[in-house]
Amino acid sequence: MSQPILKVKNLVKNYGSFQAVKGVSFEVAKGEVFGILGPNGAGKTTTLEMIEGMRSIDGGSAVLNGINVAENPMGIKEIIGIQLQASAFFERLSLVELLHLFGDLYGESAHPKALLAEVNLLEKAKQPVKSLSGGQKQRFSIAAALVNKPVAIFLDEPTTGLDPQARRNLWDLVQQIQAGGTTIIMTTHYMEEAEVLCDRVAVMDDGKIVALDTPERLIQALLKRGFKPKRTIAQATLEDVFIDLTGKDLRE
Amino acid sequence: MSMKRQWQALSSLTVASVKMYFRNVSALFFTLFIPVMLVLIFGWLNNGSASKFDLTITNYSKSEISKSFVDAVKKVDAFRITETSEADAMDKLGKAKVDLAVVIPAQFGSFEGGKPVPSKLSARFNEGRPQNGTAAGLILGQITAGFNNSLTKTPEIVGVELKGVKTNNLGVIDFLIPGIIAMSIMQLGILSVAFAFVSLKTTGALRRLQATPTRPLNFIIAQSISRLIIGVLQVALLLGLGVAVFHLHMVGSFLQFGIAATFGVIVFLAFGFTVAGWAKDENQAAPIANLVTFPMLFLSGVFFPRDSFPAVLKTITNYFPLTFLADALRRIANEGATLVTVRGDMLGLAVWGVLMFVVAVLVFRWE
Repeated sequence: MSQPILKVKNLVKNYGSFQAVKGVSFEVAKGEVFGILGPNGAGKTTTLEMIEGMRSIDGGSAVLNGINVAENPMGIKEIIGIQLQASAFFERLSLVELLHLFGDLYGESAHPKALLAEVNLLEKAKQPVKSLSGGQKQRFSIAAALVNKPVAIFLDEPTTGLDPQARRNLWDLVQQIQAGGTTIIMTTHYMEEAEVLCDRVAVMDDGKIVALDTPERLIQALLKRGFKPKRTIAQATLEDVFIDLTGKDLRE
Repeated sequence: MSMKRQWQALSSLTVASVKMYFRNVSALFFTLFIPVMLVLIFGWLNNGSASKFDLTITNYSKSEISKSFVDAVKKVDAFRITETSEADAMDKLGKAKVDLAVVIPAQFGSFEGGKPVPSKLSARFNEGRPQNGTAAGLILGQITAGFNNSLTKTPEIVGVELKGVKTNNLGVIDFLIPGIIAMSIMQLGILSVAFAFVSLKTTGALRRLQATPTRPLNFIIAQSISRLIIGVLQVALLLGLGVAVFHLHMVGSFLQFGIAATFGVIVFLAFGFTVAGWAKDENQAAPIANLVTFPMLFLSGVFFPRDSFPAVLKTITNYFPLTFLADALRRIANEGATLVTVRGDMLGLAVWGVLMFVVAVLVFRWE
């Protein structure tokens, strides 16, 4: 593993007497796509938001690019891009106006057209977010997260609620961003998505990391423990059938 | 973050906030369209009644000539005549209920040694509405000239002496426009802020802003500046409409009117941010915003004077922030008051502003 860009140690979050995150530790290498998997309520989003400086840290530490999040949350926000799970943007502003505004919030002059081209939304430049489809909204949300040329971006369930075509299109975008050298930390509860995109995954349950490795090694380890699928796995999935029948082209 | 970058964020947020406001049809409807329509409707209603001139006649003469003169004046279609005492006539003139108060002196139409005694009618008009007074005076002058000719062929028996009477202008439109401006400031400060801000909370747009290194306070400041800009434009538009179309009389200074109005915007912004900061969603914001604005709309003397209120209600409504603002604006516009003479109202507004600011800080929540 190359030089880690993010070091998380024993991260804890308490909501009253309820401990949502119970001492989570992991490292993320520069240029890696790191996935946090887990069922709803496992603490994925809370973990992410503590690292992003969006939520206070009750215990442990997170250091990103040499900056301690708890000590300098604003410093962290300067160098990362965030896609929130339910990202909303100002109404009645066009995509170009929004990206200009977000650039100004970082004290940078944004290049909205270039960003929109990167996420394949150039033809919607003068439209408001309201007029976008679900997949387009998520792509715009990623464009907004890239406005400050971040060293790392955080994607919280970026494909939830998208149809298979839009989801695959977003996978392409994530891989394209990784190819540009940006580190990506994402959460998902789609396993095939994690398999396609993530170099390594941490599986969370009940506020703790229960496994952390590459998807291949996690599968190998499971098989070594004597795991047998309940039925023989078909050579194709129903999703493959769906994509074969309806095509990979985006519907929006 | 450096000052320059804070400024870049602040100015960009302000511009975005102004743009969003002018693209929000329902906000424009409530804060701009309704006040403009109110000015137009009340203005036109008032203009319609001004097509006839209201005259009072006080006749001190018992002569037959004076009686026939009064009859002649009564035949003029453009006049609406009330015969009354001089004191009542002056009172009506002062309240701008009549355009011209005509007084016929005792010696009018009397004869001395077979010759008519020269006498002058006194016709006073309200300087606040000089157009009506002088126009009515001119018509009256033509009647007296005709009367002289038919009577004695000498033109100097009766004449009209026009005198302007300095009174405060209390025309309906002059009363209403400052009130409507005050109302529109309240609507802007409370409704436009409360609903815009709460919708940013519920959609999560505010949270998305918090994912950037911008200080959250920048956003509040940007919203306030944008509302101040919009408020000044709004006051200028309503005032301009009143002056240009309905001959509103600005007895005081436009600048002092503007300063008082801007101060009003700031105070009502504090109300708006209190509601917006406390409410979690539109369902909480709407009843509170209406509960605050509705009583003031009807009880602060915006549309009708509070003189007729029962004493208790009058005392209570004395302390409404909209009463302070409407009274201050009205006194500047109608009576030529200055910021110094309306300092009581300004102080009342300031107390409300500080109070609401403290409450806003205490109840504010970002989510």
